Amino acid sequence: MPFINALRQYGIFLAFLLICCFLSYASSQFLTISNWTIIITQVSINALLAFGVTFVIITGGIDLSIGSIVAVAGVVAALLATQPDLPLIVSILGGLLAGLVFGLLNGLIITKSKIAPFIVTLGIMTVGRGLALILSKGRPISNLSDSFNFIGGGDIFGIPFPIIVLVIVFIISYLLLKNTVFGRYVYAIGGNEQAAWASGINVNKIKMAVYALCGTLAGLAGILLTSRITTGQPNAGAGFELDAIAAAIIGGTSTSGGIGTISGTLIGALLIGVINNGLDLLNVSSYYQQVIMGAIIIGAVLLDSWNQKKMAS
Amino acid sequence: MKKVIFLLIAITFFSCNSSKNSDEKKIKIGATMLSMQNEFIVNIADEMQKKADELGAELIIVDAERSPLKQIEQVESFIAQKVDVIIMNPIEFEASSPAVTKALAAKIPIINVNSATSATPTAFVGSNDVESARIAMKYIADKLGGKGNMVMIHGLMGQAAQLQREEGSKEVLKQYPEIKLLAQQTGEWDRAKSMDLMQNWIQSYGNKINAVFAHNDEMGLGAVKALQAAGLKDKILVISVDAIQDALQSVQKGELNATVFQNANQQGAGAIETAVKIAKKQAFEKDVLIPFELVTKENVGGYLK
Amino acid sequence: MFQNNILTLNNISKSFSGIKVLEDVSLQIEKGKVHALMGENGAGKSTLMKILVGLLQADAGEILLEGEVISGLSVHAILGKGIAMIHQEILMVPDLSVAQNIFLGKESHRFSWLNASEINHKSKQILADLKLNISPKIKVKNLSIADRQMVEIAKAISNKAKVIIMDEPTSALSEIEVVILFGIIESLKNQGVAIIYISHKMDEIFKISDTITVLRDGKLITTKKAEELDNQSLINLMVGREISELFPVTKIEVGKTLISVKNLGRKNVFSDVNFEVKAGEVLGLAGLVGAGRSEIARAIAGLDKIDAGTITIDSEETQFKSPLDAIRLGIGFVTEDRKALGFIPQMTIKENFSLASLEEFSKMGFVNTKEEIKSTQIVYNNLKVKASGLSQKVINLSGGNQQKVVIGKVLMSNPKIIIFDEPTRGIDVGAKFEIYKLINTLKAKGLAIILISSEMPEILGLCDRILVLSRGKQMAILSKSEASQEKIMQYAIH
Repeated sequence: MPFINALRQYGIFLAFLLICCFLSYASSQFLTISNWTIIITQVSINALLAFGVTFVIITGGIDLSIGSIVAVAGVVAALLATQPDLPLIVSILGGLLAGLVFGLLNGLIITKSKIAPFIVTLGIMTVGRGLALILSKGRPISNLSDSFNFIGGGDIFGIPFPIIVLVIVFIISYLLLKNTVFGRYVYAIGGNEQAAWASGINVNKIKMAVYALCGTLAGLAGILLTSRITTGQPNAGAGFELDAIAAAIIGGTSTSGGIGTISGTLIGALLIGVINNGLDLLNVSSYYQQVIMGAIIIGAVLLDSWNQKKMAS
Repeated sequence: MKKVIFLLIAITFFSCNSSKNSDEKKIKIGATMLSMQNEFIVNIADEMQKKADELGAELIIVDAERSPLKQIEQVESFIAQKVDVIIMNPIEFEASSPAVTKALAAKIPIINVNSATSATPTAFVGSNDVESARIAMKYIADKLGGKGNMVMIHGLMGQAAQLQREEGSKEVLKQYPEIKLLAQQTGEWDRAKSMDLMQNWIQSYGNKINAVFAHNDEMGLGAVKALQAAGLKDKILVISVDAIQDALQSVQKGELNATVFQNANQQGAGAIETAVKIAKKQAFEKDVLIPFELVTKENVGGYLK
Repeated sequence: MFQNNILTLNNISKSFSGIKVLEDVSLQIEKGKVHALMGENGAGKSTLMKILVGLLQADAGEILLEGEVISGLSVHAILGKGIAMIHQEILMVPDLSVAQNIFLGKESHRFSWLNASEINHKSKQILADLKLNISPKIKVKNLSIADRQMVEIAKAISNKAKVIIMDEPTSALSEIEVVILFGIIESLKNQGVAIIYISHKMDEIFKISDTITVLRDGKLITTKKAEELDNQSLINLMVGREISELFPVTKIEVGKTLISVKNLGRKNVFSDVNFEVKAGEVLGLAGLVGAGRSEIARAIAGLDKIDAGTITIDSEETQFKSPLDAIRLGIGFVTEDRKALGFIPQMTIKENFSLASLEEFSKMGFVNTKEEIKSTQIVYNNLKVKASGLSQKVINLSGGNQQKVVIGKVLMSNPKIIIFDEPTRGIDVGAKFEIYKLINTLKAKGLAIILISSEMPEILGLCDRILVLSRGKQMAILSKSEASQEKIMQYAIH
């Protein structure tokens, strides 16, 4: 179990188990395979975004543009998927490329201009939303090819395709952050950028790669979303960046950089999904759902600052 | 570079001037729309433009981006530009009201299109949202024979359309005490959100659900997707409101059972026609109510583009 | 003997998570005297001082100021009673003026925020009493580190402090500034202020202290009059073992020139610097703070761009665009600014060690953890890092061990040339000695070494040649035989 290694997430993992225990006691449907298939499918899009943004936050940055990138990539993929003579791979690559381009743009501006990532990605967020509206002429794009709709709606041996995508991306991100030189540099930059630079790390190159990765994952999420709702929506993904950032933070990623894990982020995303699902099962009003979610985010950050204090003393 | 910019400014300036001169007698209409990111509103706006071109009126369409404050400011600038008539597609019942008062105070006629404000405008062109829910719920009641279980997917809570559609459905539910509302929750007008919600409901209620009423088509289509995935679509009715193209296609395929058509074209065209009448000081109807129409597989052909 | 006692600490004990850091420590501090507190890092000096000023609470024991019990009071209350501390890391608000900082926290009592002229006037007086030529209106962020230190002292005086604690006050000061500081201490003594002085620099201790207390492993070893001790006996007390020779001399045959620098310049910082260092040679860079020593080091290590001149490595002229270029060509840089440039605090010792050489332990981008552990363990053992193991986070280490981590990281990148910038700043005698030995070992292995130090004995003891700088200009290069403390100072203050 990779979770065990993530000692930092111990607290949040415990909270996750407690909530699951409570929900399986309160609702007999909660702890069924079919319900968990649904939870993980619902979580997959947020988790993909959260994995990307975890890399960014660990370098000490932030990416607010991912929600808009979801829309742009979704619209691009949808436009390509309405062309019957184009193979499926073209629309997938188109969506991923759109995400990559936006990610590179973020990285380029952040590393070249030294403007705070918060501001750069806020700007790109608006640009992306506008571009999605321009490309789609403000209207949803439907009548996508069946093969395209399989990505979000189909299954292989009974496992929904989004879950398969999630598992693959999880494994890749996990290995990338934990076992590669790149991952080590990501932590180093977030821990102390100046020292990382003085130790011979090409800080700008790594940052570019991190934003590009985050953008590409947002592109992938956009493709999944578009295929799941079988339309390319220019307004899709609004507010997704906040859910993704919340998942990363709940999972123990420190907003001051240098700390965080992919497995923690997965737990964070699952926690959000489980709470949404459980409260729906119990027919709790969405008003209360929002209050509960906010309390959990603050609790996670408190845990983080408490951990940091303990580390400093 | 500077020279180029100067040239551009000069050109814009002169072209503005010339158009002003030649169009002196043209009727000028200013329109502020709720959000040009919403397909239904875009349809109204497109129809307005078509009608204005047809009647030879000059139409300025601006997007209030769901901000009531912005909408008021846009109406203020229309007043300053001295347009002949203002058309407003209000964002909120109360918050957009001051715009009406301001226009009337400046003696510029103002028409509300699609939804209402608390202040009374010169004219109203639109449909009564309560009615749309009544039509949908009556359809469910008929199909279920007045007895069964249903769930309701709300729009964004607190918005006029959500409130009125809730009002209409509660009205009908009172008439049919044997129809039980098992659960209700917001889907925030969003297809993916409503799909998640429906999946979760299927977990808790499964076969018990007989019908779903969604406040708009996006959410209705989300519910249809979730039910299809669970293999329950054949057993459960789904109806929603708006009759967007996606929904019509779905009705044609026999997936979505019915949608309620709100006639964007007639609303758009009606608004411009009323505006032109007012400007020409001709007689006009104060309340142009465009009726809703139930769209099922039988009559969907007439609505598909 | 102690009839002039102003401050008494009785049987102070303190533990952190079960580990005793102070055990039954008792001290008497006299009015108008300088009481030096000596001990290796981790001996318990800082903890004792934190308890004294109320930042920490003792587990047992009491503290009396002029017969009144003050232990248990808040930091603010103790400050009000007249105990002030000049911190090792200076705590001031950089965007406020000198005067505002001096009166920070007291505005509401005597001077309102708005009455700028009054606090400016008062500050000017205090600064003048200290013979300091600092304008009270200047923002603290525009002051040199030395001047900031002086302002801290002024702040303590404005608090009418009866006891002033100085924790390594000279670590960032040049020789001249140290002389000024000692003048201030002398006048404070005359006013009856008691001073508790913490420093690792032996010569300072004997110059100014009246009484010396030695702590070791949380226990009080002895309190003696300064004249009863000498350099060697004091070190023995602190370390608990004999250090026969601080600077073991090693004779090495020098090899070929590894680095040569010609007409090196950086606008407004330094200009026309020329030197070369051969294999097996140590070149010292001496000068006052601000003479441009660290800046030259930064330029050679690729951290700053140069505006003029050339750097030749192994008879090949080079241009550095980044530290990476310098590391690739075999330059290692042990920075003076450990915290900002040296290490990644949240990372483990292992990860810091391998940071500059990670690509050597990787295949297809993946880190070969086995190889990494094997190599870092060797460095860990060689440098005698005191920690729970390779996976301890660097943030939890003492200053000396953090320095070893920085050095280890540099060594692992296999440099031919190493620049040590103040390698022994803020670390204890035992660790210092180990670094001296290391420099000699590296020299014997045929590396070229550039050493920057503000401690004359280090420069004189370790270097084969000494380049003296003054205000960014190269004044002289002295050979070991012609160099002396006086001669270096003569060039440095030129």
